[in-house]
Amino acid sequence: MKPVKIAMMSLTHGHTRKYYQTLRENPKLDWVASCAEDQTAKDVYDLYNNGVPCYLSVEEMFEKHPDIEAVVLASANSRHLEQVKECARRGVHILSMKIPTFDPKEYDEMIEAVEKAGIVCQVELEMHYNPVVKRLQKLLAEGKIGKILSIQATNITLSPVWAFPWQGVPEASYGKRVPLKNADPRFRGGALCDHPHIFDLIRWLTNSDFDFVYSTVAPNLRPDIPVEDMLLVNGKMKDGTSFLFDPSWSRMEERLKVPGPGWEVFPKRMEVNITVTGEKGTIVCDCFGPNVYHNGAPNDRYTVQYTYFDEWIGLIDEFVDCIRNHKQPKINLRWHRQTIDCMNACYSSIASGMPARVQ
Amino acid sequence: MKIKEMNEALQWLRSKYAVKADGTLEAAADGSFGADAELKLENGTGVKLLPWRPERRFVELKKLVDSKTLENVSTLRFAAMSHDKPLEKLLYRELDLCEFLGESPIVSAFAVSNGSTANVLAKLKDDKSCSIECSAALPAGTMEMDRHEIIARRGIACDRTVDTQVPQSSIYQFTENEEKRYTDTDTELFGFENEEVLLIRAAFEVLQHPELAALWNQTDARLVKMTKAVLESEKNGKPAVFAEEK
Repeated sequence: MKPVKIAMMSLTHGHTRKYYQTLRENPKLDWVASCAEDQTAKDVYDLYNNGVPCYLSVEEMFEKHPDIEAVVLASANSRHLEQVKECARRGVHILSMKIPTFDPKEYDEMIEAVEKAGIVCQVELEMHYNPVVKRLQKLLAEGKIGKILSIQATNITLSPVWAFPWQGVPEASYGKRVPLKNADPRFRGGALCDHPHIFDLIRWLTNSDFDFVYSTVAPNLRPDIPVEDMLLVNGKMKDGTSFLFDPSWSRMEERLKVPGPGWEVFPKRMEVNITVTGEKGTIVCDCFGPNVYHNGAPNDRYTVQYTYFDEWIGLIDEFVDCIRNHKQPKINLRWHRQTIDCMNACYSSIASGMPARVQ
Repeated sequence: MKIKEMNEALQWLRSKYAVKADGTLEAAADGSFGADAELKLENGTGVKLLPWRPERRFVELKKLVDSKTLENVSTLRFAAMSHDKPLEKLLYRELDLCEFLGESPIVSAFAVSNGSTANVLAKLKDDKSCSIECSAALPAGTMEMDRHEIIARRGIACDRTVDTQVPQSSIYQFTENEEKRYTDTDTELFGFENEEVLLIRAAFEVLQHPELAALWNQTDARLVKMTKAVLESEKNGKPAVFAEEK
């Protein structure tokens, strides 16, 4: 199969650096160019010595590399609509970051642009390709614990706002400035916007859609950011499965401009744990563990050194397969719409203090 | 539960520490949401026990909050799973621990239930959030599991080890026919099951500090009402409210 000629745009998303290795090593890809959002993003990009030309103008990148077939939109959420339209206009396939947009009207415009252009637009929800999740899906499909009653899941991390400032800017992250609730100085656009994975996974695990959610915010661990960093969600799926999610930025971080060793303050900087209770048993799983541990440089703190991140391999394999074989990705824009609707319903619940139906 | 031996141990502790107040442990009534045993004082007054409060891990977690080792607590994340305790019993304990470790009363809570499971979000008066994952649906013979995590601006405390999912034990014995675990944390009451140890300790705590009797009875009455109201909240379509939020 001919490798897909791929490029990256913006380079301001928290997952940007995770693509560097994948784009270099995956034989199904030929990484030909990058385009940074600004000089700062380009300077950080240059630190990684990727050996791939980086431009500051989208026009220039496409002009010099007319053979680009696909792009990774590694940008702030507020940049997605414009970039999706640009790619659709050029007939370039898109690997979108996990939040296309929170605005329903913009979301519809994206669907229309992508479908009209006949391009692939895959939403990056990499947990689907995590081997522990695959095992969990298999066990549930085999009926090992019977009908699902309840799912609890964490998607907790440190906060990326110091390295990727747009994630702490309501307009760039949520798309506009909306207060969380009455008499609360914070705005939508924080931890919830960073953690859609568990909202998506429960739909796959139950084969059901959301019925209602209830959500609360707690006092911020980082009082100096204008968005929420601690929140909890419970609710029900239409098949009766009850759930409880923690999508918080509950692990503190050193405020590094460029993520690297010593970023974490708590030993484990990121966790996705899932407990599924069924009529015949319970499965508890840690999607990123066990690992190896050290207390070495730079801070001599006890630290979890993660041992596997296979998600990006499976994700790119599916993207290439969809491009070359004209398939629809599992996580396409239409599928992902309900996940975004549910996250918006969480914000509605926080504002009203009452459960909110998911449309 | 070995009530006779537990009362002998209670008397031994009274004698060793020269505690004047006297009482005996009695099995709790069937269907009680609270502890499996109560203390009957010599004047005939029954005392509802909150045996998790003197449990050493919770004493230490509370100490971390009280001593400001953790600063500005934001969120409590609790879980309890059992194969033989009803949901109400699990929730009763966790609600009490929310207030005990959170050091603020619960003002509202919303639960979603399905079968013998409940997922609860609670709000404390000082704005802390709590999540409680309850399951009474573990298969028979499965060990009881729980987790209590306190998340603060400065520091996180938890009774479970980082990067693990199930409780660890002090001793793992591997023999030809079985794997057996032991966790002994009380030298004076060595030989009793953990739950028995906790009941004896709670009874002894009341005998040492008689003022706890009225306080714990009051707390029990409140927790029973709260547990019922929380589990009804989904049916009512809104959080159960116990006082004005901040």
